[in-house]
Amino acid sequence: MKTLLYNGRILDPSQDLDLVGSVVIDDDQLDYVGPNLPEVDADEVYDCTGLWITPGLVDPHVHLREPGHEYKETIVTGTQAAAAGGYTTICCMPNTNPPLDNPALVDFILDRAASPEAGGVFVAPVGALTRGSSGEQLTDLGALKKAGIVAASDEGRPIQSSAVMTRAMEFCVQLNLPVMAHCEDASLSAGGSMNDGAVSAMLGLKGIPRSAEEIMVMRNCILSLHTGCQLHVMRVSTWGAVELIRQAKYLGAPVSCDVAPHHFALTEDMVGDFDTNFKSDPPLRTQVDVDLILQALNDGTIDCISSDHSPHASHEVQAPFSEAPMGHAGLESTVGATLTYLCHTGVLTPLQTIEKLSTAPARLLRLEAGTLRPGETPVAQVTIIDPDLEWTFDVHRTFSKGKNSPFQGMAFKGKAVATFCGGEIYRDARFDHGRIRQLA
Amino acid sequence: MSRNLLGIRHLEPEQIEHLLAMAKDFKKRVNLGKPVPSLGGHVLGMLFFENSTRTRVSFEQAASYLNLRTANFAAQASSMAKGETLKDTVLTLRFERLDGLVMRHKESGAPTLAARYFGGPVVNAGDGQHEHPTQALADALTILERKGTLEGLVVAIVGDVDHSRVARSNAWLLSKMGAEVRFVGPKTLMPSHTGMLPGQVFHDLASGIADADVVMCLRLQKERMDGGIIGSIAEYSKLYQINKDTVKWAKRDCLVMHPGPLNRGIELDDTAADSELSAISAQVENGIFVRMAALAWVFEGVTPARRVEQAAKPKDKAKK
Repeated sequence: MKTLLYNGRILDPSQDLDLVGSVVIDDDQLDYVGPNLPEVDADEVYDCTGLWITPGLVDPHVHLREPGHEYKETIVTGTQAAAAGGYTTICCMPNTNPPLDNPALVDFILDRAASPEAGGVFVAPVGALTRGSSGEQLTDLGALKKAGIVAASDEGRPIQSSAVMTRAMEFCVQLNLPVMAHCEDASLSAGGSMNDGAVSAMLGLKGIPRSAEEIMVMRNCILSLHTGCQLHVMRVSTWGAVELIRQAKYLGAPVSCDVAPHHFALTEDMVGDFDTNFKSDPPLRTQVDVDLILQALNDGTIDCISSDHSPHASHEVQAPFSEAPMGHAGLESTVGATLTYLCHTGVLTPLQTIEKLSTAPARLLRLEAGTLRPGETPVAQVTIIDPDLEWTFDVHRTFSKGKNSPFQGMAFKGKAVATFCGGEIYRDARFDHGRIRQLA
Repeated sequence: MSRNLLGIRHLEPEQIEHLLAMAKDFKKRVNLGKPVPSLGGHVLGMLFFENSTRTRVSFEQAASYLNLRTANFAAQASSMAKGETLKDTVLTLRFERLDGLVMRHKESGAPTLAARYFGGPVVNAGDGQHEHPTQALADALTILERKGTLEGLVVAIVGDVDHSRVARSNAWLLSKMGAEVRFVGPKTLMPSHTGMLPGQVFHDLASGIADADVVMCLRLQKERMDGGIIGSIAEYSKLYQINKDTVKWAKRDCLVMHPGPLNRGIELDDTAADSELSAISAQVENGIFVRMAALAWVFEGVTPARRVEQAAKPKDKAKK
């Protein structure tokens, strides 16, 4: 079967490609990417006029919650949400119950992700750095890598001991395995539930100081510099963290980072009167932070954009602020937020936008993804984005089980309207035009 | 939507004036044995998730003067101890046909959440480090009685401002009524950013209470010492205690206040606590009358029948 996507704006940062043309998918492989062809004998034809054709999006930070927290999300619902968000490859975090600290669990996740009822996207597991993510004894990282993990991390329970982190990084260097780090000094953040600032002071909530994040960013960058271990700092939130990463890169440390939409679009003020939909980890910061994050996205200090998809059950979110869990379901709002807040505002060009949503995370985590070069991905991974589609984000119309979002009810401009991973795995109902139109 | 009293921050100056005028009137009537309005027919849930003797007794007294029946819940005995969420507890109380709630909780913002699901009036009796509106009203009534006005007064709030809901509610109330509010205490007991709180920060007691009309001491919770926030209680007392020597830095006729419970010899010494400057017992007594005002105010226009109607057609106002 042959599928033709024609007359779209092809954006492929891996080849520095920005042209109007066609993409042909033959069975499940990319067959042609280039200028419009005069004639193709295709079974299905998509008129992509005014739309972007991009490599399938890659999300470096997703919580699928299975095993252990299936009431929040499952691998099936999470991968469906990913497909609907325009993603074809997602990295799932290891803080499940039990944590992803042994090869059998990696097998389980890969099996579930490949099941027919799942969303059809590739799941790239991130393994735990320490057993039980307890920050003490290293996991069998070699065996985990063999089983299929693409990076290692203790995610929400970051290793506090610098000695343990050093050993973990040394081991990962030898395995050529990136370490992904959520940076938080637990002694400074303990008991905190929002940014330590004017709003927390007003609401009488214990704050999480920016120093809690920055101290750990600095420590991890120093360890990366000295061990040579590739470090990916997840979801930076403060201007200080960004500056520290800029310095580490300048010093030659193999460091990269990502930012999540709530940290480039929202601030602490939005917590309002204890609205738990705005409770994030790290917390929403201030406009000064947002401004510097935007600058760092533009100048490349921030390499990628993650959804930081952290679904929770409604009953957990409807709780006193300090007791509610942190994070937001993000897979289905990230493209909308990114185009609205970064692309249409001129912070990022369309090509830079796709670089940060696809090519960069694929390159950093060495995934066979993030490119439209035929033959470089196991199957064709293509996302069609309507950059001008105006829509309102509504959590009640998402695939994810998590309905906790700070973007609920917000107006977005730009949306993924179709996703191909091998075959078509998602198509927005609004993307009817041009569907299955036979060429003469 | 019924009226709530969740904090002072959201009140208009006119509403504060109204509440204080009601309290003053109730006090006069009660003291003269004259009738006060009856809220008979309403049942008030007393939901204290955190231990409190003073505030609970004060609300009980206020309710009884208003002929309100109260239903008590002790946190330990309630279903919360069995794992029920706050939302479900509040929904249960709503369908038990309670007309209003008085709520104390250790988490900031818990009454705000409760008000979202309860559907009837909720009065905050202290939530975490957020607000304690009726304490601030009691303090304001006390100052009014002794000083005649709030406008233009210099009020120094001394001590653990960071962890104090009393400090926050007082700062909002006094600043809205035209007083100058100062926060006095060590940096470790001060919020790290006070830009959105209406007060100026002083770390030095002498300059903080200089020419103050009111010196309001806050309770120093001894368990705070464990976190290494201050070297010792002795250190705190040496730097911030209001006693016969330090009180001289304020105005000669300054009022010395304390929301209680008092740590004698720590925040205040005997000479300051028991002197004619002290207004501590008046604060306690006035607590009853401002709580009467708060209850009468939130129940204004609410008929007990409303609860029956609502129960007949339940609709979950749950936030999306």
